[in-house]
Amino acid sequence: MTDLPLNGAAGAIPDFPRPARSILETDARTRARNRAEARFRAYGLAALLVGLFFLVLLLGSILWNGMGAFMQTRMTLEVELLESELDPEGTRDPAVLAETSTFGYGDLIEAALVRTVAATGVQTGLEAGDLDDLLSSGTAARIRDAVIADPSLVGQTVTFDVLPSSRVDGYIKGRVTRESLANDKNLSPEHLDIVDALVAQGTLDRGFNLSFITGADASEKRPEEAGIGVAMIGSFYMMLVVLGLSLPIGVAASIYLEEFAPKNRFTDLIEVNIANLAAVPSIVYGILGLAVFIQFAGLPQSAPLVGGLVLTLLTLPTIIIATRASLRAVPPSIRDAALGVGASKMQAVFHHVLPLAVPGIMTGTIIGMAHALGETAPLLLIGMVGFVASNYPGGVLDGFTSPNSAMPAQIYEWAKRADPAFYERAWGGIIVLLVFLLVMNLMAVLVRRRFERRW
Amino acid sequence: MNDMRLFERAATVDEVKIRAKDVNVHYGIAHALKDVSVDIGDRLVTAFIGPSGCGKSTFLRCLNRMNDTIAAARVTGAIELDGQDIYDRRVDPVQLRAKVGMVFQKPNPFPKSIYENVAYGPRIHGLARTRAELDEIVEKALRRAALWNEAKDRLQSPGTGLSGGQQQRLCIARAIATEPEVLLMDEPASALDPIATAQIEELIDELRQTYSVVIVTHSMQQAARVSQRTAFFHLGHLVEYGETGDIFTNPRDPRTESYISGRIG
Repeated sequence: MTDLPLNGAAGAIPDFPRPARSILETDARTRARNRAEARFRAYGLAALLVGLFFLVLLLGSILWNGMGAFMQTRMTLEVELLESELDPEGTRDPAVLAETSTFGYGDLIEAALVRTVAATGVQTGLEAGDLDDLLSSGTAARIRDAVIADPSLVGQTVTFDVLPSSRVDGYIKGRVTRESLANDKNLSPEHLDIVDALVAQGTLDRGFNLSFITGADASEKRPEEAGIGVAMIGSFYMMLVVLGLSLPIGVAASIYLEEFAPKNRFTDLIEVNIANLAAVPSIVYGILGLAVFIQFAGLPQSAPLVGGLVLTLLTLPTIIIATRASLRAVPPSIRDAALGVGASKMQAVFHHVLPLAVPGIMTGTIIGMAHALGETAPLLLIGMVGFVASNYPGGVLDGFTSPNSAMPAQIYEWAKRADPAFYERAWGGIIVLLVFLLVMNLMAVLVRRRFERRW
Repeated sequence: MNDMRLFERAATVDEVKIRAKDVNVHYGIAHALKDVSVDIGDRLVTAFIGPSGCGKSTFLRCLNRMNDTIAAARVTGAIELDGQDIYDRRVDPVQLRAKVGMVFQKPNPFPKSIYENVAYGPRIHGLARTRAELDEIVEKALRRAALWNEAKDRLQSPGTGLSGGQQQRLCIARAIATEPEVLLMDEPASALDPIATAQIEELIDELRQTYSVVIVTHSMQQAARVSQRTAFFHLGHLVEYGETGDIFTNPRDPRTESYISGRIG
């Protein structure tokens, strides 16, 4: 030990003020640090709460606006299918019945409406021709289809389940009021008197709207008939293409880059470009798809096959980045162990490294697919716009090439249309899409849990 | 140090298994190993000792071309196994590694069952034609690695569930299941407790009956306990190589003496 004076009088140790103090009392410095920490925690908590608030607001407004699309007003209508109008010669031949256009059913429906209204006992100033506005403009087509499918109906009085028009539906759901109809040429308050009476009578009621989930898109005049089912099929086929192409290509590219490729300027360039591709706006992929797949390669327009190809390009960087990260996360000792017992490089990768990377690859793939499922912009450029999704594909393989849309493009199409009933369906479509994304993300979590690395 | 044992274990067989001549290793611009020439005997335990970063592990990894997996590593000079150059263009490192097995510092069993760990090597090298033959190879390897009694009832449970010492013996079993001729061990006991270390050392002494064993170790006591020959590496040079007894009791080079007496390293 040295024998320096402890008070530092000799100047060897600078004499900083360091008052002796009990550890039971905190000094000013410690208090300031504690305050800073408390403040920081409060900021973090506040940020979290703000985020949560907006999330709840978003989900709440989606559910609030979209749930209506899952309910649909229906009406029972007894239509007298007069033989004199539909089949004067009495052949009951579907080909002959098909000669009568939907206009031919107009009078029958009108007559049925007049009878139905008369049965309610409501005194109305509306003319018989105006009563049509109560029903969907697709009603005649529906009844005609039913008649052609079953010619024996002609000559009978048949009870049909028909869809009221979107305004009536809106009134039942509370979207349309008597006041809002003041400036609306499609429906008048007198119609609503009839609707009230029909509801009281039980002729008109509300039920779960299965056809929204299974149905096809309908024209701008018939929002009550529009469904997201066909677009869902389009999305499904695109996801098949995306999964079938991007998983093998992405995994093979990642394994090559991570395990086999020499590290040189060329592979560096590829790496930088893959990282950059992940940041390219999706619409760029859309126009690329239009130029290469449709205009150059001559693939059909609006086909889920082309959509899937474009989305594959979009998903590849995500899958490659995720796969490389999970390959890199496998400890090198596993590779050493395999090489040490005389496994070839490929055996080491496929027997030991890849199985351990599978959970990461699967998660990356599912996230990439979920991303692709929600992509809209590139689809619009290759013709997969919403209104194309108005027919089911003819067969299983036909689903790849027949014109179709996808869920997000369908939602965009509906959001763009004038009738507020389409707006409601857009929100409903978002709920369907979110359910899909939620399921996919849940799958990613489960896969992660199930195959968590075990070393 | 147990000096009594040192002298009774003088090398009795004197066939050269591996002959290294003027081996140099560069990692990029770093010169990791400088002009190392050494003859490694068959059925002997050869220990490489030296301070950290002296090149002993690098040299060990040259002996089964594990350095090939490091892109920046460049090996020059000649290393011969039974008189054949292992860096010859015609040599496939995969075949070489089946002959020259390796056990690593950290126990690294595959995240698979104990059985699968041992069976993997024989399977990829096609050493067994039937399941029964494979069972036999696995049992033999586990017995020689002194793990059979502990593992026989849990062959299907994961190898990663064993204790550290058991895991390392499993790795040794895995290495000897492919019937190598040389067994390289890179600090096999450095991650283990003294009891597990003693078991491994006992095992190494037994393996010497069949294999040429090369062991890298930080512990001079371990080198003295298990080896017949010792090589002392310092700053990439092979400073001294000889009978273990001579190195520890009568070192010729002052650096060796400093190291074993604890003044450097």
